[in-house]
Amino acid sequence: MATPSKLNLTQWDDRYAELRRDGLREPAYGGPLRRHVEQEKDFRLEQLQFDNSPAALRLWNFLLTENERLRQARARGEKIVGAMKDLGTVPVMAYALPGLRAFYPDGAWWTPCLMEGSDRLLQQAEALGIDASFCPVRAMLPAFQNGGHFPLPDLLLCSTGAVCDDFSAIAQRLEHLGHAILWWEMPRRRAPAAGETACALPGNLTAPKIQVDCVRAELQRVGQVLGQLAGKDLDDALLTDGIRAANHVRRLLAELRQTVYAAPRAPLPALELLVAEMLALHFCSDREECIAVLEDLLAEARARVWQNQFVSGAEAVRIFWVNPVADLRAMNLLEDLGGRICGSDFMFTHALDLIPEDLPPLEALARSALADPMAGPATDRAARIVRECRANGVEAVVVSRIPGASHCAREGEIIREIVRQTIGLPAIELEIPPVCDALLPTLASRLQALVETARAKRTK
Amino acid sequence: MRVHLTSPWIPAEWVRAHGLEARGIWFADKFRQDTPPLAGGVCAFAESVVRFAETQPDSAVVLTTACDQLQRGFDAAAFRGSARVFLFNLPATQTPVARQIYRAELARLGQFLLALGGTAPAPEMLRQEMAQSDEARRRLREAAPPAAARSYAESVARFHTDGNFAAPAVCTPTAPAALALVGGPLGAKDWKLFDTIEAAGGRVVLNATLTGERSLCPTFDRSAGLPPALAAASRQDADEPEPFDALVAGYIDNLVDVFQRPNTRLYAWLKPRLLARQVRGIVLWHFTGCDLWRAEWQTLREVSGRPVLLLEADEAAGISPRDTNRLQAFVEMIKQPWPRQAN
Repeated sequence: MATPSKLNLTQWDDRYAELRRDGLREPAYGGPLRRHVEQEKDFRLEQLQFDNSPAALRLWNFLLTENERLRQARARGEKIVGAMKDLGTVPVMAYALPGLRAFYPDGAWWTPCLMEGSDRLLQQAEALGIDASFCPVRAMLPAFQNGGHFPLPDLLLCSTGAVCDDFSAIAQRLEHLGHAILWWEMPRRRAPAAGETACALPGNLTAPKIQVDCVRAELQRVGQVLGQLAGKDLDDALLTDGIRAANHVRRLLAELRQTVYAAPRAPLPALELLVAEMLALHFCSDREECIAVLEDLLAEARARVWQNQFVSGAEAVRIFWVNPVADLRAMNLLEDLGGRICGSDFMFTHALDLIPEDLPPLEALARSALADPMAGPATDRAARIVRECRANGVEAVVVSRIPGASHCAREGEIIREIVRQTIGLPAIELEIPPVCDALLPTLASRLQALVETARAKRTK
Repeated sequence: MRVHLTSPWIPAEWVRAHGLEARGIWFADKFRQDTPPLAGGVCAFAESVVRFAETQPDSAVVLTTACDQLQRGFDAAAFRGSARVFLFNLPATQTPVARQIYRAELARLGQFLLALGGTAPAPEMLRQEMAQSDEARRRLREAAPPAAARSYAESVARFHTDGNFAAPAVCTPTAPAALALVGGPLGAKDWKLFDTIEAAGGRVVLNATLTGERSLCPTFDRSAGLPPALAAASRQDADEPEPFDALVAGYIDNLVDVFQRPNTRLYAWLKPRLLARQVRGIVLWHFTGCDLWRAEWQTLREVSGRPVLLLEADEAAGISPRDTNRLQAFVEMIKQPWPRQAN
């Protein structure tokens, strides 16, 4: 096993040649990372630092070939489901049915970052009526219109109600442009009132039974439509198997996170960890391969811990990161400045928690969906962050704002305040645009100040 | 106890039937009184609601989930300790589940009103409140087409303040530039907009803001004509007051707003009115940070076939010199024949 390190793309060219010489075996989507720049114009890769392990190579290749793999699936006759906004619920149902493959068009929000704006998706979104006052997920809109990214889904679903306005507004515009959407209602989660029957949700949350019943009824409607598309009813047995498989992915991720967070130094970089977490949403369009990718990563992380080999220094400050970053480079930046990720809430913690297996499957899925951090109050989200900060010995919190995102205007303040009040950790809020190069000095100085503050607290 | 509502889709009748005063927050004296500095991305309307809730201890405020800003505003108010705030989950879809949610939320609001000192609503009291508001809405809807814009806004405000009908003044139909005003809440402090438009030679013939004619959509199927036995059989819960079902249906079936998914009802409501009132241009009024309305700008243009001017409201009430200038130019433009006028 090579000593863990971070490599830039050029260094990875050599590393790839070396691995091939040593007999590296890759899945069908494997190959050098460089080809994603040359063939897909993913220019951002040239600015990133990657982990040097074959497991990381497999992870990146898996992520960056998703559109291609979706097209191959369609060519094989499989049906493509576009799930939008719920982040982790509908794909569990879709993958429970044979011949269906679900993905999140929402993921197009990273395309302007990966392609460093060369795709001009954000400018095209503006021409379609969605300007820079909206979150970068607006890149999804022209991606649908020009068909040059992901294949157009056979069925498009979107959760609505207690979801962010940006997404709801953009999806509505998408429907107006001719892409039919099946909307399903997600109520705003609240605590049960006195006298109401309470249901336990994953993530240490509760909701009144009536809300669980409503979500279950909506998911039943979704399940019927998915069943029609697959030509097979989504019965309890299939859904139970689907939940079990999803939980396998979630368990692997939980073990991976725990292995990394509990280690004295980081055995895997923050960027690879972020990408790995993202796989929980829709298994990057291939559930079985997703499991294999995560097993490789977990094995790598464990081996490194066992051999006392790490990618971060001993003094690295333990950071909890809130919200996904529009520019992947921010994860590298944090580590360059002496931080390491020891906890995260990338807006889909409900997709990381195990779906209950001791309940009727649709009920279990409804409870899981209701645990969505975006469907409930910011105080619930903050409470979980505090719990995880305590559990993982976190020393500082970064709330990363998504440009234009309506929920970011308020929740950051509440989260930072609760973190400060309850555990006394320093917390900052910063905004990361899809390509953050121009802001690097500002971002760096803010992160540096946080890291220094956290280090200063160690000596008191 | 005054209960200030932030949405016309929360039945004021339900509040009044509990023996409390219902008020549309948009017209409250102390609403948007100051111009607070806003954090980046925060909607001025939502912030004003939060501040109102924090500074008016003798009032309660009902916020809704209709938009992220109000929803998160509730979080902020609750976090800062405002006790008399209630978040009403307004469903976005038009499904049986949406009806179930709305119904349950009304019942929950009832509990909140009781906790504020309200009394359990007698069916007869609720029926009376519904009959009165239904009649007032009907008369206001009928009065809309010929009404003078500002006077009509005042009449609707009166309705959202005490539930009564006040006849608006009728305008003289001389202005060639008939405009529709579409969008979010237009409070009393923004009514200067009507004067500005008229001074520029235009006239608002359709007030489709949240606080205009569109807010008058709820209507009750007064199958109060039903024989009592049938009416009772249609009820789901024996403890509910008899007209409760009609109240739920009257609102959820007639709600017309931008946050609905899909929001086809909004356009189904708008299109015949734009045509009937010979609207030549649309002013889209929204608060900075309101994604839901801002995203409709282009759709509104495409669906209506009319020019649309996007007008942003911020923390300062009224209309800026820059926007006055834009409005003047817009009115001047739509006085000319619009080549792509679609019906």
